Amino acid sequence: MTQFLEVDNLTMRFGGLTAVDGLSFKVNHGEIHGLIGPNGAGKTTTFNMISGFYKPTEGQVRLRGEDISGLKMHEVARRGVVRTFQHSTLFGELSVLDNALVGTHMLFRPNIFAAIMGWDKEDRKGAEARALEALEFFGLLHLKDDLAGDLSHGHQRALGMAVAYASHPDVMLLDEPFTGMNPEETRQMMGLMRKLRDDGITILLVEHDMQAIMGLCDTITCMSFGKFLAEGGPEEIRHHPAVIEAYLGGARHVA
Amino acid sequence: MRNFLIFLAGAAALLALPHGLSFSQQEILVFLTINILLVSSYRLLTLTGEWSLGHVVIMGVGAYASALLSKKLGVYVPVSILLGGIISALLAVVLSFPLFRMKGFYFLIGSFAAGEIIRLLWKRFRDPFGGAKGIKGIDPMPDFSIGIYDFDFFEPVSYYYLSVVVVAACLWILWRIERSPVGLTFHAVHWQDKLAEASGVNLRAYRTLAFSIASGFAGISGGLLAHYIGTINPNSFDVEVMVFVLTWAIVGGTSTFYGPILGCIVLTVLNEIVLRELGFEQMRPLIYGAIMILSILFMPKGLESVVQKIFSRRAKP
Amino acid sequence: MLDLLAQTGLNAVYAASYISLIAVGLVLIFGVMGVINFAHGELYMAGAYSVVLFYSDFELPFMIAVAAGLLFVGCLGLLMERTLFRPLKDNPLGGLVASIGFLMIMQALASMGFGVRMEHIPPVTQHVIEFSERVRLPMARLFVIIAAVVLLSALWIFLKKTRFGWALRAAAQDPEAAALQGISINQTARIAMFIGAGLAGIAGALTAPLVSVNPHMGHSVIVTAFIVIIVGGVGSLEGAVIASVVYAIVHTFVTTFFDGVIADITGLSLMLLVLIVKPTGLFGSADRA
Repeated sequence: MTQFLEVDNLTMRFGGLTAVDGLSFKVNHGEIHGLIGPNGAGKTTTFNMISGFYKPTEGQVRLRGEDISGLKMHEVARRGVVRTFQHSTLFGELSVLDNALVGTHMLFRPNIFAAIMGWDKEDRKGAEARALEALEFFGLLHLKDDLAGDLSHGHQRALGMAVAYASHPDVMLLDEPFTGMNPEETRQMMGLMRKLRDDGITILLVEHDMQAIMGLCDTITCMSFGKFLAEGGPEEIRHHPAVIEAYLGGARHVA
Repeated sequence: MRNFLIFLAGAAALLALPHGLSFSQQEILVFLTINILLVSSYRLLTLTGEWSLGHVVIMGVGAYASALLSKKLGVYVPVSILLGGIISALLAVVLSFPLFRMKGFYFLIGSFAAGEIIRLLWKRFRDPFGGAKGIKGIDPMPDFSIGIYDFDFFEPVSYYYLSVVVVAACLWILWRIERSPVGLTFHAVHWQDKLAEASGVNLRAYRTLAFSIASGFAGISGGLLAHYIGTINPNSFDVEVMVFVLTWAIVGGTSTFYGPILGCIVLTVLNEIVLRELGFEQMRPLIYGAIMILSILFMPKGLESVVQKIFSRRAKP
Repeated sequence: MLDLLAQTGLNAVYAASYISLIAVGLVLIFGVMGVINFAHGELYMAGAYSVVLFYSDFELPFMIAVAAGLLFVGCLGLLMERTLFRPLKDNPLGGLVASIGFLMIMQALASMGFGVRMEHIPPVTQHVIEFSERVRLPMARLFVIIAAVVLLSALWIFLKKTRFGWALRAAAQDPEAAALQGISINQTARIAMFIGAGLAGIAGALTAPLVSVNPHMGHSVIVTAFIVIIVGGVGSLEGAVIASVVYAIVHTFVTTFFDGVIADITGLSLMLLVLIVKPTGLFGSADRA
């Protein structure tokens, strides 16, 4: 059986610096998969290669057996792999609803002639329904007419995920989704992610917040200095000596 | 019903507008109408966040194409204007390959270089472009009658009516595009191109789309101009004209549909009518330059921001 | 043939001299202020009109007229810095629009003060150095070449050896870091504008007897300067000088062997090619803009 999402010998060099070095791991369908590692381990670089933001120097990313490495970001997205961004990257000048509508771009591809003639009423209705659905899922429906730039930090993070979710993705790549969230928001966000998984969406997330990742992930891959270090369930990783060594210099237990 | 009445009142106002104006003011009115289309098409490009310095040359491409098609191949003038727009749009698609490797400031300079090269090619090749003297004796729009009104296109009033109809139709299309999911995607490309791309938007395709639509309408405005003035040359489309378009857009503001139109009308009326009437003929560029500086210093968001302020104040009692 | 090559080469050296004076000023202003000064050609024009005023009208010695041009245009630069570029620091299109407005004002003032007709300036010297029958270099052109070499060397020493120069380069590279190091951004901006504008002014003043002085003379100069700074790499002074030489050679030779319009097209195509292949310019590194 071909693997759902497979990272194979992925390598990224910036000039003389090797940020990611021969990394391989597999993500199973329908799981929440965490990618962790100390600062500078190359997590974000890996993430950017999977989403098509960077073109890897070597190696492949395969989705259902198809090599998607080196594709442009929108081409990766059209294969069902949609990412979020680390900072609150949103269309700050547009309304919350419009943000979500951009997320429906792939489902209801705009057609300029239909738009001029007014033949796209069905599509526009469908897109709006889907956008509202995504906003409701993330509890943002009551804010739909606000400007995205005016939202609170937690709401902005949620909207970032709603934009990604609106496109009906197979895989969501989440870049540090819990950064800057208070414990209550983190707890809510974890609940939403489980709901996403139960909807059949595979999640790959890069995260610093160990508490969240331990309680949430089905499988965790740990990397250090650009290389694969360990993989396993949360319990396994928590007690893995190499992980403890890498993460905290062996000084104390993880989390 | 209310909208229909507003429409009727607007149409009547546009119909009545040229009467009571002097002949030269009627001519200015024709140019103003054409320039409104030019600056509105320019705004469509700025929706994706790119500012071009080649837009007026693209307008010239439409003008040259329409003039040559009607003169050399005998194409019926309204058709040649339309074809001129299509040729401009296609040229934009070709130009997008080198130009959209650049962004921001580099696109600005790159579009300027591309435009200047086109202009110099007109200058250099006397056949078919007529060299520095350009093309003279361009076929006028054929006269026709619609029963209640006889169109005589040597009369500015007739040409004004024709331009209003054409420009209104083009603006309607531009408006529809902006209010559609395509327009939303243009905004998305402008404000956060990475997020748009992550949502599956093909950035290059949308930048090219905006560029070619903007260029197509610029080409149509060029055709309208060429068949009115009857003679065009490379200097009709030089960077000084581009500077005017740029200032209309910036003084008016580009975040609303009406901003650039407002800028175009206000500055044209100010420059062509008020300053002329007041006898400032020689000082016009000086005052115009001063207005540009003052408006960018004290009204950086354009006239439209003033309009918005007035309306929002009225909304709140 | 050899004569023709030699003569064209001399013409190219002359062209490279005044182009590099203008382009280096433009680069300096862009580096420190982060704005493209569209009115730079009009600063050049102002330098030329200083010579018209002081040399042909007031009949002062030519060198005094040139010095007056340098001072006057330098002060125009200070005026632009204070009234336009400083208030518009955070508005990327604003500086561009304001400098275009300034350009129109300058052109209008020149037309009103001197008329739109070409100015006649009595030649400073009729002397011509003859290398051979057909290879000649007028003294007036030699002045321009010498002045460019001296001024650019002086600028180079100023930038590399003095504290001001160090501050200027630091501000050009990273304004925020420079500010943290206690460098006054406004002070360096003033110096950069004075020098940058002054160089354009002196180029205009020196070439005034050799070119047609009219209110619109800045236009062709600014296009050339743009090509040069793009090819050289925006923000690179050395690149601007090298690109000036390259451009002058290409343009002069194409003009001689084909014609002026083809030469202009070649220059613009060169710029477009650089923008497509390496937008940071042949000698520049990616930084501002």
